[in-house]
Amino acid sequence: MTSPIHHCKECVDLLGEYVEGVLPPDRAKALEDHLSTCPPCITFVRTYRATRKLCRNALATEMPKELMSSLSSFLGKYVPGFPCTKSETAAPSPVTPADGGPKKV
Amino acid sequence: MADLNQTQREPAPEEPRLDGQPGDRELVERAQQGDGSAFAMLVERHQRQLYRLALRMTGSEADAQEVLQEAFLNAYQKLPLFRGEAQFSSWLYRIAANSALMRLRRKRRAPDTLAEQPLELVGPRFSAEGYLEPTSSSDWSQRADEKMMSGELGEAINKAVADLPDDYRTVFLLKDVDGLSNEDIANSLDLTVPAVKSRLHRARLALREKLGEFFDGAK
Repeated sequence: MTSPIHHCKECVDLLGEYVEGVLPPDRAKALEDHLSTCPPCITFVRTYRATRKLCRNALATEMPKELMSSLSSFLGKYVPGFPCTKSETAAPSPVTPADGGPKKV
Repeated sequence: MADLNQTQREPAPEEPRLDGQPGDRELVERAQQGDGSAFAMLVERHQRQLYRLALRMTGSEADAQEVLQEAFLNAYQKLPLFRGEAQFSSWLYRIAANSALMRLRRKRRAPDTLAEQPLELVGPRFSAEGYLEPTSSSDWSQRADEKMMSGELGEAINKAVADLPDDYRTVFLLKDVDGLSNEDIANSLDLTVPAVKSRLHRARLALREKLGEFFDGAK
């Protein structure tokens, strides 16, 4: 027997797993039963989902090509055999190995 | 601080790649034997996700660049210690996240205070009986699509994410932006899976509140 969800707080507490589809079926059923009678929680679920979507879209930054080049150039100095063709044009390296140099593998 | 050294345990299973390229495990083994080009392939494969994490954790492109350099160099130096117990990507994320967190601590000139960092996460408000307060139930989800390309919305999201406590922000970025599993995040950050779920949920609730404030102000 599924224990019903009476209060919105219980519903909100389960939302993380619910929107990811990993909530156990009996709890998902109880949550959906609560949603069918609680418009504020329906709104809450919609805005919770929208939050994830908006943030994912806004934060999906591309790595600049210049930064890839400078990273490659930097690692080329410390990793033997690391292919690096743009060392002449890459930006100077801001990081110095804390132990004074790379360790050979 | 997460321990990067691993004890001997069964290697983590690795799915075959759909693009026919060698898997991370094979590349790691080649790199451990001194193949620099194999390490370069690992860098090429993971640098974008690490950059995104570093940029959002530090809030600065210059800092993100330094975090990436430090993280990959650190990974290379510690490669002989990598035993394949975890996925290479999780191990790499752990190194990068540690590097970014250390940088944030140094910048704040308050070393080792992260654990005591006050949590000011705002979540929904409930009545004494456990019902949602009306302030938490405004429906802006339909307007979110219209505002998707708004620069103001992008700024509001960046600020809201930047305002999260560091360890909550890290979990949120790894899960909802980079799409790692809870298990991989737990491995990367030395957390339990329940702790990952709890931080993730609280971060989302706090971000939802901030976005609600943005949309209420934009009516």
